[in-house]
Amino acid sequence: MARRRPPFEARRNGYAVNLDEEERHFVRRLVGEVRELLTSLPAGDPKMGRLFPPAYTNASGQDADAEAEYQRLMRDELVASRLDSIGRIDELLADTTMTALTAEQLNAFVVSLNAVRLILGTILGITDEDDDEDPDSPLANEMAMYNYLSWLLDSAVTALMQG
Amino acid sequence: MTPVAAAPSTIVRPEVDESTALDKPWIVLVWNDPINLMSYVTFVFQKLFGYSLEKATELMLDVHEKGKAVVSSGNREKAEMDVYRLHEHGLWATMQKDGDD
Repeated sequence: MARRRPPFEARRNGYAVNLDEEERHFVRRLVGEVRELLTSLPAGDPKMGRLFPPAYTNASGQDADAEAEYQRLMRDELVASRLDSIGRIDELLADTTMTALTAEQLNAFVVSLNAVRLILGTILGITDEDDDEDPDSPLANEMAMYNYLSWLLDSAVTALMQG
Repeated sequence: MTPVAAAPSTIVRPEVDESTALDKPWIVLVWNDPINLMSYVTFVFQKLFGYSLEKATELMLDVHEKGKAVVSSGNREKAEMDVYRLHEHGLWATMQKDGDD
């Protein structure tokens, strides 16, 4: 793939978005799948484990009651917060004339992209930080998607840290 | 001459819940995971805690190399809110009383 401009670039008044139609469509599809999982999977499904970790180091020991309380009070908030940022980036990407984002919009973008990566990474069973792409793997396609998302996220974070 | 202070007519007690004030503070830990990007973790530390790039990078490298780092501390409510915000951003964070293992 010939390399091109970074997908996100800091500008004087916000952030330029250099994503073509196919890329926007792809990200929207992934984000839609995550929305589907968030609203349909039961609490405790292992695919969601990384998105809803325990809050207490000693969650099954001395702080078990506090942990249960945290999950009771905060889990729905976490789901709502994720659905909110997912809804916002879906809306932004649906607008084909959108070529720039504010810092706040790019922040929502970054948080949602990261949630998608966490779920995809969990499904792929990413354990090694230097996982290479194996073209013969049955999950090679998902791995390529995961690496594409990593590149997208890194570009967005870099832009935000510069801007 | 030492001015004589008038005795206060009412004693203002600082509003401290002694049961928590005497407790050890809570610390918030972030644990290493194979998925979150180093740049993203640094970004989140800066965004949530207002750390400088140097401080955020140092904490991120501690997480990456030592497996975990203490990123904030305070009373239980503050620690729980920090954990929540870190979870909202997809980081693997937990809280515990300082000194506990």
